[in-house]
Amino acid sequence: MTIVSTSTSAFYDRSVMGMQDLRAQAETLQSSLASGQRLSRSSDDPVAAARMRQLTREDSFSAIDTVNAQRATTDLQLTDGALSSFAGYVTRVKELALQAATGTLTAAQRAGIGTEISAFRQNLMALANSRDAAGHALFGGETAATAYTSDGAGNAVYGGTATAGELSLGEGRSVARGLTGPEFLNFSVGSNPTDLMAVIKTLGDALLTGAPDPQTAAHDSLDALDTSLDKITTAQTVVGSRLAWIELTTERRIEQSEMRADEEAQVGGTDIAATVAQLQQTMIVLEASQASFAKLAGLSLFNLLR
Amino acid sequence: MASDLLSIALSGAKAARIALDVTAQNIANAGTSGYVRRSARTMEVSSSGGYGRTSDISLSGVRVDRVVRNVDLFRQAEVRRTSADSARAGAEVSNLENIEAAVEQSRVFPALVEFDGALQRLAGDPSDPSLRAGVLEAARTMAGTFNIAANGLAGVASGVNFEATAEVAEVNTLATELARVNLRLARAADASSDQSTLLDQRDSLLQQISQYGDVAAAFSSDGTVEVRLGGNAGPLLVQGGSATAVIMSTAADDTISFAVGSSAVSLAGGSLAGKALSLVKLVQVRSDLDSLANTLMATVNTAQGAGAALNGSVGQPLFTGSGAGGMALVFSDGAGLATAPSGSLAGSRDPGNLDAMRAALASADPTGALDALIFDISATVSSRKVTQGALQAIAGNALIALEAQAGVDLDQEAVNLMRFQQAFQASGKAMQVASTIFDTLLGIR
Repeated sequence: MTIVSTSTSAFYDRSVMGMQDLRAQAETLQSSLASGQRLSRSSDDPVAAARMRQLTREDSFSAIDTVNAQRATTDLQLTDGALSSFAGYVTRVKELALQAATGTLTAAQRAGIGTEISAFRQNLMALANSRDAAGHALFGGETAATAYTSDGAGNAVYGGTATAGELSLGEGRSVARGLTGPEFLNFSVGSNPTDLMAVIKTLGDALLTGAPDPQTAAHDSLDALDTSLDKITTAQTVVGSRLAWIELTTERRIEQSEMRADEEAQVGGTDIAATVAQLQQTMIVLEASQASFAKLAGLSLFNLLR
Repeated sequence: MASDLLSIALSGAKAARIALDVTAQNIANAGTSGYVRRSARTMEVSSSGGYGRTSDISLSGVRVDRVVRNVDLFRQAEVRRTSADSARAGAEVSNLENIEAAVEQSRVFPALVEFDGALQRLAGDPSDPSLRAGVLEAARTMAGTFNIAANGLAGVASGVNFEATAEVAEVNTLATELARVNLRLARAADASSDQSTLLDQRDSLLQQISQYGDVAAAFSSDGTVEVRLGGNAGPLLVQGGSATAVIMSTAADDTISFAVGSSAVSLAGGSLAGKALSLVKLVQVRSDLDSLANTLMATVNTAQGAGAALNGSVGQPLFTGSGAGGMALVFSDGAGLATAPSGSLAGSRDPGNLDAMRAALASADPTGALDALIFDISATVSSRKVTQGALQAIAGNALIALEAQAGVDLDQEAVNLMRFQQAFQASGKAMQVASTIFDTLLGIR
């Protein structure tokens, strides 16, 4: 006959196994509280871990998209500023052309105006060769060199690429990062293609040299200058709407990153309240099992039989 | 008659002494692993009366018939079977966890994402030297982490092989020891305490061997055992006094196989079976990682060749080597990255080829493949852990059932101690009575 159903060593083994198990549980809970992460390795929850990998990947790409969006914003703002300056110069040249078109001026006065217009032309050349934030030609598309150079006769020659190139904003969206010079400087008068630099050069040369007839030349240039101004303000609208587009995508990106952060916390984060409660429960069970073990282990017939 | 009473009391005292010895032995071995509780079985000694007086009362006392080992063969077999299963699952899970750690903790996935990201960042300004250097460094880190992962997996393979070799040697030692125990058992006298000790040793050795591989044991009447490795149909490991050596062979891909003597054996349980299984998984993971690394390198190198470097020259391959372990960079100057389409001028900011490279990477999708690989490993680990938990519980219960039946219960021994002490004292009292009777008879005048 057995007095209790189990042997002494089985009792000790079983008690130790039970307490070790509880202790391991408590330690796992503690480490998930300490790190704030529910998953310490992928096999803890393979599906959640795969989702976490996906989310962190999107996070890191989103951070790069943000940098690209800032880069595009800076370039477009620089473009916008330069376009405003262009518009200012064109307006001023138009005023001077209007003056020169009146018949009351002397040749010397017209020559003076011509000098001023020639100086403006230099400024416009410098403006057309503005640099973007990274030091590249702002209006040169993707060229590595300057956008405009002067040929032997003093004509502006465009040396850049045909388009400004697109910059990815993430999730398949992109934005044209700037304007090329010809996109807002070239236009047609009647059916003859020309550009702002050429118009101003022709006007300046005519006023300075008096040939061909400066008054007619000034008069003729007014139409071209109007068209040019239109073209520049249109370009400004385009730039403005591109900036708005970037802002829109940025907002969407922020919303999405908030959603991702939310999901990351749900999938991989520790639920503090639940975990603390669970830890408390485990510790109480562990303490109870330790206390009962101490009591049972002290219970030996050898202490009683004398 | 009084002398009969004296001899009866003497046999009772002797039997009680032996029972007390057995009890003391049980108490002394309460914590000895593999010790099976003994108990002394006593038999009445009686004889018929002499010729013509068969119906006379003739009592001759008691004798110790044999020392009984309280063991249940079925429970022992269950312990061997379940602990073999549990050991297999344990070895498999721990090695799979090492494989998981080798791939995951090398941080190859974040490095691959970082490389992707660096290419994306470069698209912002393809001629920026710092962004180009960033791509190069990300590529270097990625190659490094691939190397670390491959080295980690190779380390796991050699570690498992090393352990398996040691375990096979251990099995052979145990089998030789068991054969020796068999020899001694064949010679030991029946029911002697020597035989009990040998039987304890035999069972303990069998249990130890079953930790490494599943065994089938057949016991003969003299207590010797015939052991087959790999179940009932497996080859003989121990037969009588001879043991056949287990041989492990390692294939070129680090997988292992076993043979007893010249006959191959496939193990279904034990840590050796778990190790063999985990090595099969390891081979798959390694080949997956290698093919993924090769795809990545080929995709980038092909794209490089289709474009122009910063100085306008034709792009050179970025990666060299084969497999995850061999991945290395060819050049270390960011200017060598072919971001512009073929034939572009020096310093071109055209990201045409960079876009093509990113599109090629997106369609080859090494990141997705790596994600799937990590998921594959971790899901395997996770599911095996569940199995392991179940098998461990079963093995633990079987062991406790055996211990409860065969182990020493100190309370019971305390009671026995008292019981046999009283029996001894009572026999002494009987001797005293016999002496008094004898004195009474002598006192008649």
